[in-house]
Amino acid sequence: MADLDEFMRFFRFLLLGMWACTFVVRADLPVAQTFPADGQQLLLWVASERGRTAPEVQAARQLAARGVETWSLDFASAYLLPQLPSSMDEVPLQDLEAWLREAQAGGKRVAVYAVARAAVPVLRAAAALEPAERQALCVMLMHPNLYSTVEPLAEPDYLDLGSLAGLRVLVLQPRRSAATPWLPGLLDHLAQQGATTSHVVLENLREGYWARETPTDYEIAESRRMDALLLHELDAWGCK
Amino acid sequence: MRQGWLGVVVLVLAGAAQAAGFDARPAVPAPQLKAQDLAGTERTLADYRGKVVLLNFWASWCPPCLREMPSMERLRARMAGRPLVVVALDSAETPQEVNAYLSRMSLGFPVLLDPDGSNTKRWKVFVLPTSFLLDAEGRVRYVLTGPTEWDEGEALQVIESLLAELPPDAR
Repeated sequence: MADLDEFMRFFRFLLLGMWACTFVVRADLPVAQTFPADGQQLLLWVASERGRTAPEVQAARQLAARGVETWSLDFASAYLLPQLPSSMDEVPLQDLEAWLREAQAGGKRVAVYAVARAAVPVLRAAAALEPAERQALCVMLMHPNLYSTVEPLAEPDYLDLGSLAGLRVLVLQPRRSAATPWLPGLLDHLAQQGATTSHVVLENLREGYWARETPTDYEIAESRRMDALLLHELDAWGCK
Repeated sequence: MRQGWLGVVVLVLAGAAQAAGFDARPAVPAPQLKAQDLAGTERTLADYRGKVVLLNFWASWCPPCLREMPSMERLRARMAGRPLVVVALDSAETPQEVNAYLSRMSLGFPVLLDPDGSNTKRWKVFVLPTSFLLDAEGRVRYVLTGPTEWDEGEALQVIESLLAELPPDAR
């Protein structure tokens, strides 16, 4: 009996410890790195499953200097997830919905920029918004990975993202990517989910060109002017 | 009983080894391949019928693709005189981009062009490099996603296994 009491005391202590750890993690959640600016545009920059990189932080800083307030989000770091594509499917959508609503509540024009697999929670959260909220949002996706499964010799299978009716989506696709030949299929899938799509192919660039181990001179130059690229594409797209 | 468990463990390990590398496929006819070589000659799989074919999808911007190229060239040299053909199909690049790489890397096997990505899409290639091993009847037998050293280990074993299916006088 004494053993049982001791075990129960230990078990309660264990539960308390687990709860406390959860609280500490939640309390320290680095929701976003913010780069305030006085302009009327707000960009939510969602890093890929590999996490936020130094060139991305620099670009966010430069955007703010150009008047575009920027919130930089890194799901892998915020939720202590492995830096894998599948981790992005684990991001709590209600948190992201809350971020989107908070961003829109500020009164600025809100655009989201998501990289690689981070496109999945962004699009799913957009699908969960009210139609009017969704229509007010612009989403730029850098080489999005929306595959459910892919296997050589088999048709690609894309994830069901929910209704994207009214959502404007611009896909930025580096030319030097195995995904480039499959861009039409990806755009078709987004359109089938209700999104209004457009795309830009980025010549002479590879996926994740700002964080490559052996970047070309052109990739180095382009990673230093990511802020200009995004501003240019936002303006040319006319999503206002 | 202990031997039974040992058998199960061996089978599981063998399965894991198989899953780690080459994906064995049921022998089905390969998709159409229709591409020009660097001289502008139209090539199809019929040109290689009767031989085991290593068909490698690659691109000059893809570091893992370039890493495995020397081993493909060594494989070609090692298999000279035997019924194996190595074919590298460049995915969705211009001839100029391909030639720029080939000016730095001498390759003795045919390089085909797929500037519009039509072959890449027919073969449902989503990752580079992706390689297909075809038997002498033009059927896909193994698929590998990602790079390998082609002149050693498992790669050499599966190639030899396909060559072993040929009549002795043809190997």
